[in-house]
Amino acid sequence: MTMSAQQTMTIEVFRYHPETDDEPRFQAYEVPYDEDWVVLDALNWIKDHVDGSLTHRWSCRMGVCGSCGMMVNGDPKLTCAAFLKDYYPRPIKVEPLVNFPVERDLVVSLDGFMEKLEAVKPYIIRDDVNDTSGGEYLQSPAELAQYKQYSMCINCMLCYAACPVAGHEDEFLGPAALALGHRYNKDSRDQGQSERLDVMLVGEAIWGCTFVGECTVVCPKHVDPAGAIQQAKAVGAQEYFKRFVAPKGAGV
Amino acid sequence: MKRSGEAFWWALFSAGGVMAALFVPAFVLVTGFLLPAGDEAVAAERTAQFAAAVGWWPVKLALLGVLALSFVHCGHRIRHTLMDLGLRRFSGLLKVPCYGGALAATIWAAMLLWRI
Amino acid sequence: MSGQYHRPHGWAWFLERPGYVRFMVREFTSFFVAGYLIVFLVTLGRLGGGEAAFAEWLGAVSGPGWMAAHVIALVAAAWHSITWFAAVPQAMPIYLGEKRLPAPLAAVVMGYGPWLTVTAVIVWWVLR
Repeated sequence: MTMSAQQTMTIEVFRYHPETDDEPRFQAYEVPYDEDWVVLDALNWIKDHVDGSLTHRWSCRMGVCGSCGMMVNGDPKLTCAAFLKDYYPRPIKVEPLVNFPVERDLVVSLDGFMEKLEAVKPYIIRDDVNDTSGGEYLQSPAELAQYKQYSMCINCMLCYAACPVAGHEDEFLGPAALALGHRYNKDSRDQGQSERLDVMLVGEAIWGCTFVGECTVVCPKHVDPAGAIQQAKAVGAQEYFKRFVAPKGAGV
Repeated sequence: MKRSGEAFWWALFSAGGVMAALFVPAFVLVTGFLLPAGDEAVAAERTAQFAAAVGWWPVKLALLGVLALSFVHCGHRIRHTLMDLGLRRFSGLLKVPCYGGALAATIWAAMLLWRI
Repeated sequence: MSGQYHRPHGWAWFLERPGYVRFMVREFTSFFVAGYLIVFLVTLGRLGGGEAAFAEWLGAVSGPGWMAAHVIALVAAAWHSITWFAAVPQAMPIYLGEKRLPAPLAAVVMGYGPWLTVTAVIVWWVLR
C-alpha cells in the first residue's frame, strides 16, 4: 500500500454488539482505495488500523473456505471476491448475511444452517459399511458427472441470504442443504436416498421452494441449487406415484 | 414423519406447466385473433375448421387433458404465490379455492366439450 | 441464545432484488393464463350453442376491449412459455455420457422446438 496521495473510499459497516446495542447501527470508515483490494481487505484494514472491535469471519481469502460471505450493497457476496474497484468511488455498504440471526457485527449464527445440513445426511450411506473385500467402489466418469456440480458447495450460505423462502419458512431446509442431499442421492455409490427423502419430502422442507432461482444466481461455485432442488422434487414425485405400483417401494 | 402429499400437486403442476407452455399461446392466437379477424366469409371458414377439430373426440379428450392440467398448474402456482406473499399460514386452506377451482373448471370444460 | 439480532422481514420482500421482481412476474402469468382459459371455456360454450351464438361471440370479441385483453393474455402466456423453457434444462438435465446437454440446446429440444411445432400445426389447421 502506498502512503502518498492515497485515494480513499467509504465503507459503511453494520455494527451490532449485543452487550451494549439494542438495535444495529451503521458506522462509516474511510479506507485506502487500492484496485487490487477486495472488501475483505478493507474490513481487515479497519480492524487492524482503526477499530479492533469490528468482528467478521474470514479464513482463506481465496473463495474456498466459505467463511466471509456478507451482504455487499445488498447482494450476498464472498467479500474475498468482491473487488473495491467494482464499486469505487461510490460507498460500499457491508452487512451480515440476511435470513440469519446476527451474533455480532458481521457475524451470523450458523446453528440453524448446521442443523439443516446435518438433517439431509450429507455422506455416503451403505448397507455394507466397512466391507471393502470386493475392492473399491468404482464409479465411471458418467456417474461422477451426475452429481459433481452439486458437490462443489463450500457452505458459504450466500444462497440462504438470496432465498426469500429461507427467510420466511423455518421448515424449509434451504438451497445448500437440499442440493447436498440431492448430491448424495445422485451418487452411484450411495444407498441412502430413501432415508434422505424421509427428511427432504416432509412438510415444507423441500416443497416450500417456489424456484425463485436467486440461490443459483449468487452461488460463487456454480452449484445451481435451484436446479438440484427441482430434480429432487421430481424424484420425490416419482417415489410418490411409485407406491401405487409397488407399495413397499415408497417408504411412506 | 410422513412424506408430504405435495408431491402429487407438484407433479400435476409440472405437467400442467408444460401443457400451458406448449398450447396456451396458440389457443390465444386462434380464439383471440384468427377467428374474430377478417370478414364474415373468412370467419365462417375458420370457425368451421375450428369446430371440426374441437368436435373430433380424440381432440376433445386431448383438449380436456390439456385444460385440466393447465388449470391445476395455475391453481398451484397461484396458491404458492399467495403463500410467498404472506399467506403461508393458510397453505392448507388455500388448497380449497385453488385446486377446487381447477376441478370445477375441468368439470365445466368436460360439460362444454360434451355439448360440441 | 440471547442477544442475537433478528432482522425484520418486510411484506414487500419481492421488491428487494430484480430477480425477485422477475420471479413475481413469472408467477403472476398464472393469473392471466387462468383468466384466459376461462374465456376459452366460454368460447367453447358458444361453439356448442350453435353458429349464430358463435358468430355473435366473435363479433363481441373483435371489439377493442377484448382485443386488448387478448394481447395481454398472449404476452402473459408467451412469457409463461419462455420462462418455463428456461427452467426445464435446470430441472431436467439430459446427460450424454459425461457431458450434459448445454442449457440453450436443451431448451430448444425440450421447449422451443415442440412449442413452435404445436403452434404451427394449430394455426395451420385453422387457416388452411
